[in-house]
Amino acid sequence: MKKIIIILLALLVAGTVLSAQEITGLNIIENVYNRPTGNDQTADLTMSLVNSRGDERVRVINQFLKDFGELEKKIMFFVSPADVYNTSFMNWSYDEVGKDDDQWIYLPALKRVKRISSDSKSDYFMGSDFTYDDLGDRHPSADAHKLLREEEIDGEMCYVVESNPKEEEYMYSKTITWIMKDNWIGKKKEFYDEDDELLKTLTVKESVTLKDVIVITLSEMHNVQSDHKTIMKLENVQVNTGVADNKFTERMMKRGM
Amino acid sequence: MEKFLNKFLRFPKITMLVLLIISIAFFIVMKKNSKMETDLDKYMPQDHPAFVYSDEAEEIFNIQDGIIIAIENQDGIYQTETLQKVKDLTKQLGKMKEIEKSDVTSLYTADNIIGTEDGMDVKAFFKNVPTTDEGLQEIAEKVRANEMIFRRLVSENETVTVIIAEIGDDVFSQEFYHQILELVHSFEGPEKLYVAGVPIVEGSMAYLGPKDMKKMVPIVMLVIILVLLLVMKSVKNTIITMLVVAFSVVWAFGLMAAVNIPIYAVSTMLPVMLIAIGVADGIHLYSHLDLFLRKNPKATRKEAVSDMLKGMWKPVVMTSVTTSVGFISLLTSEIFPIKYFGLFTAFGVMAAMLFSLILIPSAILVFGFPKRKQKAISESKITKNPFSYKFAEGVIKYKTITLFLTITIVAVSIFGITKVWINSSFLDKFEKDSDIVLTDKFINENFGGTSNLNVIFEGKENDTMKSPQTLRLIDKLQNDVESRLDVVGNSFSLADYMRRMNKVMHADKEEFDTIPDSQELNAQYLLLYEMSGDPENLWKVVDYNFKTANMTIQLKSDNSKAINNAIAVVEEYKKDFEKLGVSVNYAGSGYKGLIFTDLILEGQIKSLIMSLFIIIILLAFMFKNFWAGLIGSVPIVITAVIGFGVMGLLNIPLSTTTALISSIAIGIGIDYAVHFIERYKIYAKETGDKQKTMQGTMHHSGRAIIFNATVVIAGFMVLLFSVFPPNRSLGALVSLNMFTSFLGTVTIMYLLLYKTNLFFKKK
Repeated sequence: MKKIIIILLALLVAGTVLSAQEITGLNIIENVYNRPTGNDQTADLTMSLVNSRGDERVRVINQFLKDFGELEKKIMFFVSPADVYNTSFMNWSYDEVGKDDDQWIYLPALKRVKRISSDSKSDYFMGSDFTYDDLGDRHPSADAHKLLREEEIDGEMCYVVESNPKEEEYMYSKTITWIMKDNWIGKKKEFYDEDDELLKTLTVKESVTLKDVIVITLSEMHNVQSDHKTIMKLENVQVNTGVADNKFTERMMKRGM
Repeated sequence: MEKFLNKFLRFPKITMLVLLIISIAFFIVMKKNSKMETDLDKYMPQDHPAFVYSDEAEEIFNIQDGIIIAIENQDGIYQTETLQKVKDLTKQLGKMKEIEKSDVTSLYTADNIIGTEDGMDVKAFFKNVPTTDEGLQEIAEKVRANEMIFRRLVSENETVTVIIAEIGDDVFSQEFYHQILELVHSFEGPEKLYVAGVPIVEGSMAYLGPKDMKKMVPIVMLVIILVLLLVMKSVKNTIITMLVVAFSVVWAFGLMAAVNIPIYAVSTMLPVMLIAIGVADGIHLYSHLDLFLRKNPKATRKEAVSDMLKGMWKPVVMTSVTTSVGFISLLTSEIFPIKYFGLFTAFGVMAAMLFSLILIPSAILVFGFPKRKQKAISESKITKNPFSYKFAEGVIKYKTITLFLTITIVAVSIFGITKVWINSSFLDKFEKDSDIVLTDKFINENFGGTSNLNVIFEGKENDTMKSPQTLRLIDKLQNDVESRLDVVGNSFSLADYMRRMNKVMHADKEEFDTIPDSQELNAQYLLLYEMSGDPENLWKVVDYNFKTANMTIQLKSDNSKAINNAIAVVEEYKKDFEKLGVSVNYAGSGYKGLIFTDLILEGQIKSLIMSLFIIIILLAFMFKNFWAGLIGSVPIVITAVIGFGVMGLLNIPLSTTTALISSIAIGIGIDYAVHFIERYKIYAKETGDKQKTMQGTMHHSGRAIIFNATVVIAGFMVLLFSVFPPNRSLGALVSLNMFTSFLGTVTIMYLLLYKTNLFFKKK
């Protein structure tokens, strides 16, 4: 028993020494990147878009996503508004650096599946304030990270990390992320535009833990320059239910919900 | 009143000193507190329904006036250097603090909606400027294939492309204008660059008008001084008369500054008005003094002053009160700067009255009579039968001709009035060969137009604008207005997006360049559009909930006729839109300018009629005779009719400045009549003889009136040499008004007085 305590103590000391001295911005971002996300996920997504005048548009989407290792596939079906009911959208996102996503859309009124070629991850996702890049996981090696400080927000101790893109002509000049120390979940993120001015603020408001996987269920992206907001809310979230591989095909897009 | 005035005149030096001190105080306040207001929006009545609606629409769709920068390359714009300039200039404009980055549109920022093998994409035309011919040709091909861009951002002959920077109403300043020009000029060569657009025109005008006035007013003053010297033959009298004018201007502007009211563009007309009105009192007073001294060369200063005040205080007060009433009636206007203008001009007129009655006699008491050459007096004594007598007799003798001529001129003028048109155009106020007009012309030749009319379609519920019926009707209206009116260069709406998307989703087949058949398909295309790119541009043609849409009609002229013609076509469709539950309204600065001008005119006509009634009643009370009131108003009515008639005949449109001139017609015209009738009344009482009364009046008042008219006409003729056309019209019309007032008073009004036996009845 005594031995165990000593070992534990030693580990603890070593751990604190290690974290105090060695943890870097890169370590933190890698931890976030490598956080378990589950193999698949289904959910009802309510996306509320609010413009500067306070006008609101609400879209309800039924979404499925599955990790195929080097490839992540996602399929979404519009539930409302009524005039886009059963419009579906499929996205295949590749880990491979430089490889663009494959995207398809099915328009029921046209009864045809169409490819949308997205040559840029800086495109905004469905008129929201999230770009495709904001939604996906950016590989830690794409940026240079720097731990700025540690601070408490909303009662959570966070690392504050600044990330500067290595590529030129990236849509952001830098991002600053507040990462919760205890679960490696981002709490807040600031995006700066090409002129180094604050463009957007992402705030994570709620998350749930399902089968050891933490899923963010309520987040808000606020474009402070245009005062446009997007609120993403996930409901009926299920993780690792074994979504079938063939869920992510053009045939399924056409079939609808 | 006389006693009251005499109290001041007991201590003339102290009185003069006090007036001087107050004037200096006002001058200091004026120097310290005065500020110019150049934002034209501040002129608009904010609670007028048309403005409220337009402002709301402008906010929803971010409708702003755009500065248009055209880049011309004779060898075609698809050159690496030229496109690089488009990119760099676009970026630099976006970085200016007055311009929002997202409000700059150019080939660099424009979205290209294209059909791909199996879908649709929204892409930029270029990000990095290609250096190879193939790359450049590719951009050219893309532009040609996109009817949403071709002829809108790139001219048909591909030698000109434009960058449009939209700015808010309140950001334009002279400094900003120069910054833009400087920036644009730094990109010159071999390309030629041009700057145009509504903000530039408006801004230049708000700046040029007052600037030109500042330059012209001293020259006007100088000419008036010279003519005053000529007619008064006295330096002393001229100086004092000009002091009266100068003090009244200082008091009016001083009070304005003291109560914190800014100087608006119309306020720059204030000194003009006060010069025209203020010299009158001095001329009449000195003229009276002069005649008195001819008869009584031995009179003391006190006697002369006392006689002058006795004989003249009444008409001076009467003319000032009636003139002020004319200006105070401008309070009925819905436009605040015009209200203030009326109020402070009225105050200035009253101040001028005070100075005339106090400063002029005080100056005579202190400095003595004006020096007169003895010769002049003896000469005039010899003239037993002066011109004025002959003239008076002539008018009576040839009364039928006088009457006939008057009626003919009035009739022709009334015909002219029917041709008067209103113009709210800013561009028409510039010289035809000025840079600003030529640039505008150049851009209009190559593109859709530099002026916009926004038509706002509002449905009753969300998603109305996705309905095929509504979109088709909008599309039909667009085609109609574009094909029927030459002045319409282009139009743009959500319908253009829908047609473009329908076409590219059907492999660019022409037969699909139509509005999709179902609401669902429209909705799904729009969703697709939002997924494919930045939907920011969409919110300029439709609101967030697709309930309201904005159609932009591009006009090649900001002339009121152009806007009205376009509106007339849209109005034809109003019923069809109503059937679909869609209301049609208008927005934008051009439309607001139109409404604004209408409001000014409406107010002007209201105030003209009102002041006419008040003046008739005032005159009737003053002369204790109703007919005197009516007869007294004849010259001003004639003046106003001829003034507007000439504008109609000479095709001078009514605008804010020209409309205000009718206030001078009333303000000054009435002065002549009052002086004349008052003198007529005095002589009628004194002599009881019509012949003598008529001769005496013509000799006394007629003389002063012609002096007065000469001085002011000469002064305002100077404005004919102004570089700013509206100021030229102002000079010409004021001169004309003075002349007709004068002529009307000594001919037709005089004839009426004579024929009605007014003031003789009791005998």
